[in-house]
Amino acid sequence: MSSKPSSLFVLRVLIERDLRTLVKSPWILINRTLFFLIQLFVFAVLVSKLASSLGFNYFDFYSVGAVVSTITSIAFIIGEDLFEEEELGLLDYLLSLPFGHSLFVLGRALGGAVRGLIYVTPMMILVAYLDGYFSPAGIIGSLLVIFVLATGISGLSITLAMLIRNANRFDIMIALAELATVRVSAAIYPLAYMPQVLQPVASYSPVTSASDLVRAIFLPGYSAGIYETVILILFVAIFFGLGSAFLFRTIEGGKFD
Amino acid sequence: MIEFKDVTKTFKSFDAVKGITCQIMDKEIFGLLGPNGAGKTTLIMTMATVYRPTKGEVIVEGHSATGEPDKVKSLIGISFQDPKYDRILTAREILDWHAKVTGLDKAVREKRIDEVLAKFGLTSEARKRTWTLSGGTKKKIENAKVFVQRPKIAVFDEPTAYLDVPSRLMVWDMIDELRDEGSTVLLATNMMDEADRMSDRVGIMSRGEMVQVGEPEGLKGTLKGRDVIELKLERVIPELPGEVSKVEEVKEAVFEGDVLKIVLSNGRGLLPYLINVVTAKGGKVNSVNLKEPTLEDVFLYYTGMELS
Repeated sequence: MSSKPSSLFVLRVLIERDLRTLVKSPWILINRTLFFLIQLFVFAVLVSKLASSLGFNYFDFYSVGAVVSTITSIAFIIGEDLFEEEELGLLDYLLSLPFGHSLFVLGRALGGAVRGLIYVTPMMILVAYLDGYFSPAGIIGSLLVIFVLATGISGLSITLAMLIRNANRFDIMIALAELATVRVSAAIYPLAYMPQVLQPVASYSPVTSASDLVRAIFLPGYSAGIYETVILILFVAIFFGLGSAFLFRTIEGGKFD
Repeated sequence: MIEFKDVTKTFKSFDAVKGITCQIMDKEIFGLLGPNGAGKTTLIMTMATVYRPTKGEVIVEGHSATGEPDKVKSLIGISFQDPKYDRILTAREILDWHAKVTGLDKAVREKRIDEVLAKFGLTSEARKRTWTLSGGTKKKIENAKVFVQRPKIAVFDEPTAYLDVPSRLMVWDMIDELRDEGSTVLLATNMMDEADRMSDRVGIMSRGEMVQVGEPEGLKGTLKGRDVIELKLERVIPELPGEVSKVEEVKEAVFEGDVLKIVLSNGRGLLPYLINVVTAKGGKVNSVNLKEPTLEDVFLYYTGMELS
């Protein structure tokens, strides 16, 4: 007979499952890596030349934002996985296993974040190198920042997956959410250059907070601290709670035989 | 022991399970029968703590499914009707992950996985992605999850669907072995021969309710008086139904074409006597058909439905 595993063990095994399924789909990795490299070495180089007349090093600014945008985009995939699992009935199996619903949501959010981190760690090291930043402690700190962001984004993505039942509507909402979180933030352009109406929203964005924190580590002349950290932690807490609540609602909400 | 105490599960305004009270004993194979939509899966998922009962309580081995869900889940292993696993993974990866998350250490799970794969003849296919495998093989892998886990409470939902005859027999043997090792087995099935052969007791569900619980033979006994003798005669003799109906055990006798259909109790015992009655009235019997109640008859009688 088997015994009840510990919470930490369950989290590890849930993360391991998400990693196993990820490794089996290398096309996602190739696709996102190519996108990142093209954006960095074509788009950022080109815009950097245009912006150099303003005395602004756009390449350095963008390179950090590109990593943050990429992990944001990858973290959204976990919601797509969960939506598919719900459609295929796989969620019933997973929820019959010996762990609670909340631990399941936390495990999947962390799984999404770890997947994202594995993707973007080489990108982060490349960006640190291009930006002339070589402190291992700083690089580890920056990875921690984007890991926290990715956990929150995974929670948001899981919340959407549990909130929306229709596949087409879900696809549209995920695309819009991804667009909004990246574009309405200071990841790829400075807050000051954004339309005024979006600036207050973008200043509260966790993507802005993560981008600013990493820039403060890598680049001279940038600062960030407690305010950005609090926003990131609040973001994770809110969407972990909502993800758990909506998972419960989905399960109890009306599938029967 | 598993105890369902007045369990109701309502989804919005629909009662999927209504006031079910029953007990499943230790080391028992309990067949759960019911047409699609009867509430079998909802009852299983409520026991497995995936759903919370709207009313009532499920107690598994002394633990409340609502109050101590993690303890209850750690006792249960479910083989679902449709295989539920990541089809991008191989059979070995699926079984390894399932065994790991249900608490088996590496040495034990590797040994059990090897054993179960070998029994199912899947050793050579164990490293192929499961989406490439046949429906029967996918079903074997779904069953294999529970055979590797060997839980205290093993649930099988249509365990032999999609399987060929040798595989069905093997699964039945493996379920028997699981019970012999100490597991309690809940077997949800629409296959009456499977339920009859495997179950110590069966519960029949219809429209969310448990309409009958008992041993298969006992339930067949509840349909006593429902044996049917069909005598195909050379010609119709109009007075024969009235004559046959004089026998006390006969409930009904009618001609359907040239077949005299007699509903009665103890059909086997009375058959020679009834043939004598027919012959004495000048009837010539060309063929005889005796039908005694089967579990399928029991099922149809208590559900008032057709099997789907």
